[in-house]
Formats: sequence, structure tokens, C-alpha cells
Amino acid sequence: MDVVWLIPILPLLSFLIILFTRPNLYRKAGIVGTIFTGAAFGCALLVLFSNFAEGNQLVEANWFSIDSVVLTVGVEVNPLNALMLVIVTLVSFLVHMYSIGYMANDERIATFFGYLGLFTFAMTGLVLSPNLLQLYVFWELVGVCSFLLVGFYFYKPEAKAAAKKAFIVTRIGDIGLLVAIFLLFWQTGSFELDVIFESVLAGDITPSMVTLIAILIFIGAVGKSGQFPLHTWLPDAMEGPTPVSALIHAATMVAAGVYLVAVMYPLFSSSETAMTTVAITGGFTAIFAATIALVQRDIKRILAYSTISQLGYMMLALGAAGYTAGIFHLTTHAFFKALLFLAAGSVIHAVHEQDIFKMGGLRKQLPITAALCLIGCLSISGFPLLAGFFSKDEILASTYADGRYVLFTMALLTAFLTAFYMFRLYFLVFAGNESSKAKESSRIMLIPMFILGVLSVVGGYIQTAWFGTFLGDWLETSPYPITVDHPTAPIWLPISAILLSLAGIGLAWMYAKKLRYGERLNPVHRLLFHKYYIDEFYRVTIVKGTRVIGYFWMYFDRFIIEGGAQALIGLVKRMARAGSDIQSGQVQTYGTVAFSGLVVVLLLIAVIGGYF
Amino acid sequence: MEINQLLDYQWSSMMPEFTILLTAVALSLVDLFMPKKRNRSVIIWFALSGIAVAIVFLIFQFDDGVVTILNQTYRLDSFAKAFKLLMLIGTGLVLLLGIKTNDLDEVKGEYPYLLLTGLLGGMMMASSADLITLFVGLELLSLSSYILVGIRKKNKLANEAAFKYIVNGGIATAITLFGMSYLFGLTGETNIYEIQALMGSDIVTENRYIAVFAFLMIFVGLAFKITAAPFHMWAPDVYQGAETPITAYLSVVSKIAGFAIMLRLIMVPFVFAPGTGKVITPDGVSYETLLVSVRPYLVLLAVLTILIGNLIALKQVNAKRLFAYSSIAHAGYLLVPLAALSELVFDAVWFYLAAYLLMNLGAFAVIDALGEENNEVTVASFAGLFKRSPYVTIAMTIYLLSLAGIPLTAGFIGKFEIFMSALGTEPKRFILALTMLAGTVLSYIYYFGLFVQMYFRKAEVKTPVLASNRLVAVLTITAAGTVLLGIFPSIALTFIHDHFQFLEIFNP
Repeated sequence: MDVVWLIPILPLLSFLIILFTRPNLYRKAGIVGTIFTGAAFGCALLVLFSNFAEGNQLVEANWFSIDSVVLTVGVEVNPLNALMLVIVTLVSFLVHMYSIGYMANDERIATFFGYLGLFTFAMTGLVLSPNLLQLYVFWELVGVCSFLLVGFYFYKPEAKAAAKKAFIVTRIGDIGLLVAIFLLFWQTGSFELDVIFESVLAGDITPSMVTLIAILIFIGAVGKSGQFPLHTWLPDAMEGPTPVSALIHAATMVAAGVYLVAVMYPLFSSSETAMTTVAITGGFTAIFAATIALVQRDIKRILAYSTISQLGYMMLALGAAGYTAGIFHLTTHAFFKALLFLAAGSVIHAVHEQDIFKMGGLRKQLPITAALCLIGCLSISGFPLLAGFFSKDEILASTYADGRYVLFTMALLTAFLTAFYMFRLYFLVFAGNESSKAKESSRIMLIPMFILGVLSVVGGYIQTAWFGTFLGDWLETSPYPITVDHPTAPIWLPISAILLSLAGIGLAWMYAKKLRYGERLNPVHRLLFHKYYIDEFYRVTIVKGTRVIGYFWMYFDRFIIEGGAQALIGLVKRMARAGSDIQSGQVQTYGTVAFSGLVVVLLLIAVIGGYF
Repeated sequence: MEINQLLDYQWSSMMPEFTILLTAVALSLVDLFMPKKRNRSVIIWFALSGIAVAIVFLIFQFDDGVVTILNQTYRLDSFAKAFKLLMLIGTGLVLLLGIKTNDLDEVKGEYPYLLLTGLLGGMMMASSADLITLFVGLELLSLSSYILVGIRKKNKLANEAAFKYIVNGGIATAITLFGMSYLFGLTGETNIYEIQALMGSDIVTENRYIAVFAFLMIFVGLAFKITAAPFHMWAPDVYQGAETPITAYLSVVSKIAGFAIMLRLIMVPFVFAPGTGKVITPDGVSYETLLVSVRPYLVLLAVLTILIGNLIALKQVNAKRLFAYSSIAHAGYLLVPLAALSELVFDAVWFYLAAYLLMNLGAFAVIDALGEENNEVTVASFAGLFKRSPYVTIAMTIYLLSLAGIPLTAGFIGKFEIFMSALGTEPKRFILALTMLAGTVLSYIYYFGLFVQMYFRKAEVKTPVLASNRLVAVLTITAAGTVLLGIFPSIALTFIHDHFQFLEIFNP
């Protein structure tokens, strides 16, 4: 249990060592980083197992005090964050290892590993925080790391713009979180989670205030987790190196928003309105992002929209009282999405191309990558018996049990769309006969992918209807008041989910085939298609329909959401310009402004005070 | 005055001031009789040792109670000590930074001792209990600063800056003095503690609007020193025109002195004064206090200052102008606890000024270093700094993070405390808190613009920044201090708590 301190300290050490010995270490920085995060992962495992045996722990010390308010720092271990710690350190460790190969030819490799270490430190620190202020400190720090890493290829103007955008858009959400933290402090006099939950449950805070605070916290989560309407930064953030996308923008940091809602779950569950807000935002984001993913061409942007969509799924689950389902999907998603990103990285590394329409037939050159990518695609699509299947099922069951049937239908539809766009990607990249020259990635890149591949297959068995609800039972031992229910779904639910996902895969296959061979279908196919007009049917009703919706949302995204943001930026700019115009350099103006300022204030007080 | 009475005064309470005064006089004489060809930089070291001695004297006074001498015109209380400590450290760091050596032929030895006379003025502002001595201190600081700004007499920008500074300063002084005259007219006293006692009298209650006018005029006049709205417009021009270390001095030491005089002059005399609003109680009609009456106006000025500073900073290209606007914005944050009338106002302002001293001086030190190679330091001068001088960049990163209020830096703790003071009062000052948040978000844009330059842009010059030992010393002290106060704020907070009883300020 004492090793819990080491979990954030080890990556921090890695960062400091690399920072100060950068020129000497150079390419060896990757090895240093991998060893340190590997050790942190080992500690996280120990902490996980000691949590099984010894239960929850909380260690705190005083940080500073203002007046009578004492602020503390500390670490806390409970089922939720022990699980998060393992996920974060594991993915970080694997991404470190992968990056040794992926970044091998980059001159600034040492800087890269330094940033990765700092990020891992910040993320584990966030997860271990027992109070909101400390959580907020690390919440900011992961944002800074994300900023640095997105802008890593700074010679590309897009990367610079993306870094700035990522930072500022998430900051908008952070303001919500900060205001919520202060409101909670005002209401309860404390930043400590246990004190806060106690007064929430004791009814010390008025219901409307609980709702307001919960929604403000959720705004913070929306920013970090790329939920509608603050999602715009996440696709742009793909300008960062691919391992970073896997670690930060798929598995860990973007999941911090979901984690935050899970941490504050006792607060959320005391407000029906807040829960509904979370569920609707999540459900809408899930289907909204999935439709945009249908029409993207860039392999990483597809995965980015997919991440937004899957995070929406998790939010939907939490909002629909499916606490276990949300956390469960967070876990499996970390595995298969990190795998998919690393596979995408492997492809990009091999062909130096990100447009899936310019790829094809890579199955032959990159057999291992293709196989692992297939596992990832199957898992995210909810193919039976893979990790994603179980967690997605849990979400669908929770949503169904919650009785919000519109959201449930949206979730089901999203499952279909997910299968479609993932396999559209898979078939376009790997299937077919076109061959371009490509070489399979080195072993150091394939091993992490392989480990994630295994987890994407078996990761789902911690919570199944057949072998027991281990995860849910364990999460229930949380020190905080959390109700974990075990929804039972009707038998048709998993079956229809399977059918929809298979339909998505099948459609993607036909779509890719049609695209690739045009009219040169073999007679049997042609007969089938023409006889039943399946093709036309699909093309007109589903493919066209979904494409239209996809384009609609894409343009909605581009013009309405981004346009709104631009309008706000324009307003600020105009105000700034107006302000600097007054600053004419004329000393008379300055004197006039000062003097009229005084006169206005005096007049105001004279008039309002009724002195005249 | 009896000679015995004069000898009875506890003169030791003025030891820090005497030290600075003697050092300044001695240095001016040394400068006068030193051969023209001799390098004047040795004078800077003398000045520094003078400051060190003054700090030692100040530390020995820490646990003394309130001492007043010279007919209650000079007053040494916790408030005075705390602010003097900041000013001494700030001036010490500015001196350590030095001034461009190639300008030394033009800038002679007067540079260090003008800094010291300005400092002396600032110390008197923190430690006076009489309108007249407060005003003399204010003028001593102002006059020294006017000369310092124009010290490069052959430089047109510096001349323009000094001219603007003097004209605006004159207007501000006139307004302040006018406000003070009302105060004197109402009570017939110049000692602020006597004024405080008389403020509850019937005459003042009848003429309470005059008291409100006096308050607002003094406030607006003093806004000049702290670069708050509506007296902020001189700052960008003057900051740009002055030599960078002098800009640092203006933005830090002069501003700390401004806050010292402002807190004393608006809190002490007016604390029991009647305001405009009537309060009807069963016992009869009484008046709310003046501070409550003027609060909306203070809130307005604080909000304006924050917004103006942060908005216009977005458009700046010149680094010193950028920091001038950022410094206006910080003055706005510092007005927040004042406008919220929080009990924590002294603690919050002091801590924030301490943090601001470190981070702002550090940032100006980096600008100064870049000034060695560029005539005009612009935002683009920071391009590729990380590749050129990684350690300087790390220090600059710390200052910028702190200025932006990112956690684990002193600036965050300071902002946090101010925030708590705005939300800790009853009723809550949500407008102030929200403006502060909005301002902070806006400030990310320009602070992070500098990050983009330092980390993500290619440098035109490849060689490292010329880092003298003195620059390294200043950067080390300020960066380490910023991080230390950010991670272990309890060091400073416990220190304040143990040694400074700020509320002493109200006891006559």
C-alpha cells in the first residue's frame, strides 16, 4: 500500500531525469521513460491487489491554511481509482515502449519522452486526488501536457493551431469545473470529497444548487472528454504524434471527464436533472460523432470522432444510472482504442499516408498490424465475446433499464454506425489487392499492440452476465455512497445488438467492395444485388441517408459550432481593437480618460445618492 | 518641541529608512567625487549591501508591537513592515539585474541612488500615519521615478515616456491632494487616526457626501500608482519607453508602494465613516458605512481594470507593452479583495503582491536579457527560445504559468486567495469572481502565445541568450520563489500569520 506514493513520483522522476540529461540521453530517453512507467505500472498492480485484500485507504497531510480553512493534499485508493491507475500506467507504459520505435527517427525524441513522463505524472496525480482542489491542480496540468504534446510537431502550422485550440477550448470547460468547486466549497466549507458527499446526502445543499453544481462540473467533463458542443478540439488534436493520440486523446486524459463524473457520482445521482443532462449529452454526442466519422477520410480523424462517440456512450451510461457500465466501457475502450490508434500509427509509420482512400491491400504487407487492427475493430463494434461486446451490452442494458427509450434507440443505432465506420476503415486500409510498398513495424511497436490486442479480447470477462459481475461488486466497495445496480436486459437486446453490429460490418464490406471494384462485380454478386435490389436499397436508404446525415452534422459542426466560437473570438478581438484605438499615444487623451472616469464615478454617486 | 522629547523617540524603529537614506546620500557623494572614467557598476553593489542591511534591521523589528514616533506621523506596524519587506526585496532584485552596461556612459551612478530614494519614498508611504508625510513619501517616489524613466536623456522614447509620466502623474497628484483637502476640511486633522476617530461625528454625518467624494477622489488619484482604471493609460507608453529594469521597478516596487498607501489611506480614515445609504432599525435611522456605500464603484473599477488590461493585451506585439497591460490586469485582480471588503484583504493583497513581485520581475529580467540583442523586444523575439536557452525558457515558463494562475505556482495560490476573499464575503461577489475568471481565460491567450513562440517556433538566432551571472541569480531567485510559494504556500502564509497582525493597522 505504501507504494501508492511511488506511482506519480516515478513518471515525475523520469521527466526530471530526461529534462536535465536530455543531450546525453538522447535516444536512450525512451528506455528510461519505459522503465520508470513500467515500474509505476508494477506499483499500480500492487495497489490494485492490496485494494482487493485491504480495502480503501486515504492518507492526507496539511498543505496550507487560509484563515480557518485548512487545505490538504493526499492520496486515496478506492476501487474506481485503483482501476484507473492500472489503466493509465499500463497504457502509458505500452505507449512509451511503442514510441521507442515510432519516434526513433525524430530528433526531439528525448523531449517527447520527457513530456510523456510529465503527462503520466499529472494523470496519476489526478486520479489519486482525494480532494477537488488537488484534482483541479492536476486537471490543469494534464491540459498543459496535452497542449505541449499536440503541438509537438510545431513546424506544422496546423499543429500549433491545434495545440492552442485544445488548450483554450478545454479551458472553457475548466472554468465550469472551477466555479463548481468554489460553489461546493461555499456550500460545504470543504474541498474534501467525503465531506462534500456527506453534506450532499444530508440535504445541506438545496436541490437546485446541487443541480447547478453538478451541471457546472459536467461542463468541465464535457470540455475534457470532448462532448458536444466542446468536442471540436479533439479531432484537431490528432495533429500530435500518434502514440500521444493513443495515450492522451483516446485512453486516459479524455476519459478524465468520464472519470470526473464517476467520482462525483453521489452528487450527480442526487439530481435527476443533472443525470438527464449527462445522459442526453452523452447519447447525442455518441450518435452525432458517429455520423461524422462515417464521412471522414483521415484515419486518425475517424478514430478521433469514434473516441468522441464512445466517450458519449460512457456518459450516457453514467447518466442512465449505469455506473458499472460507464466504468466498464471506459476500461475496455482504453484497451481497444489505444490498440486502434497504435495500429493506425503502425500503418502511418509504414506508408506515410493518413487518407484511407489512398491505402489498400495492406493486409499482405502488414499482416500482424492487420490482424491486431481487426481485433480492435471487432471489439469496438461489439462482436460477440470480445471486450467491447460485454461493455457495450452493459451500457445498452442500463439505458434500457433506465427507461429512456429514445436514448436507448440512439445508442443501438450508434452501435450499428460504429461497426460500419470502423469496418469501412478496416476494409479500405487492409482489404483489396492494391499493393504499395510497406514494411511491417518493428517488434518494439508490435509487442505493445499485441498486449492491448489480448486485453481487447479478454478484458470483457471482468463483468459478464454469465461469469459474474465481479467489476460491479468490487466498485460497490467504494468508500463513497454509490448505488451499483445490476440491470437485467431482455434476451432480445444482446441479440439485436449483435445483429446490428454484424449488419454494420456487412454493409461496410459491400460499401468497400462497391467502391473498389465499381461495376466489376462477379455475376453472382451482380445477380444478387440486382435481383433483390439490395444494393440500391442500401445505397439509397442507408448509405445515402447516413452519408447525408453525416455531412449534415459535419457542416453543422464546422459552421454552427465553430462559427459560434469564431463569432465569440471576433467579438473579443473587436473589443481588443477598440481598446487599443483609444490608446492613441496622446497624453491629452490619457488625462481626459482619467478625469472623465473620475467625473463619471462622482456623478453616479451624486445622482444615485440623491445629492442633487 | 522639547529636545528631550525628540531624544525619547524610539528612533530604532526607523533604522531601515535611515540605512536607505544614508546609502543614497553616501552613494551620491561617492558618485560625485569618483573619477569620471571609473566604472560605476561598483555603486550598484554598495546599494545592494545597503538594502541587505536594511532588510536585516527590518527583520529584527518583526516582533515588536506598534511604535509611533514624531508626533504620530511615523508609524511602524505589521502592515508597514510587511510592505516594506516586499519593496526592499523588489528593489534589491532590480538592482541585482543592473542596467545595460553599454548605456553606463550615459546612465551614470545616479541610477542606483535614484532607485534608493524612490524606495525610501515607498517605505514612508507604507509607514506614515499622517496625510502630509504620506504625501511627501508619494512625491518622493514619484519624482525619483520620473527621473528614472527619462534617465537616458538622448533616447526619444525615454523622453516621451518621462513626459507622459510626469503629466499624468501631475494630474493624479492633484486629484489625490484635492481629495485629501476634503478630508482635512471635514475634520481639521491631518493624522489619519485622528480623522478616523472624528469620522463618526455629527458634522461628518451631515456632510457624508463630502466624505464619499473625498474617498473616491483619493482612490482615483492613487489608481495612478497602481495602474488601475481610469488611470491606467500611461502605463504601456511609459513601460515601453523606460529601460527594462526601470520598467520592472515601476511595475513592481512602485505598485507595491501604491497598494500600501491605498490600503492605509482608504481603510484607516474611512473605516467608521458613515455612508450614503440609510439603514432603518427599530432604534431609529442610521447610515451604512462609507465603505459599503462605495463598494459598487470599487467593483466597477476593478472589473474595468481587469477587462481593459486583459483585452488590450491580446493585441500587443511589443513585449513590454504586453506586460504593461498584463500588469494593469493584475492590478485589477489585486483590487478584488479591496472591492469585496474582505476580512482577508491584507493577507490576500500581500501574498499576491509577493507572488507578483517574483513572477513579474522574473519576466522582465528575461525581457531585459532579450533586449541585449534586439532594439525592441517583441513577442516574436521569444521565438525558439527553448532551443537557444532551455534554462532561461524554463524560468520564463514558470513566470508565465504563474502569471496565468496555473496551479503549483505562486500566482495560483495568490489568485486562489483573492478568489476566496471575493466569495468569502457576505454577500458573495460573484461579479468579481466571474470577471476574474473571464480575465484569466483571456490572459491564457496572450501568455500561451508566448509559449507557442518559445517552444514551437524556429529561432532566427541560434546562439544562447547572453546570460550574465547577475541575470542567472535573479532568474534563480524568482523562479525558485515562484515554485516554492506555489508548492509550499504555507511557508509564506504561516510567516504572515506568525509575524504580521495586519489588523493592527486600525488601532490608533
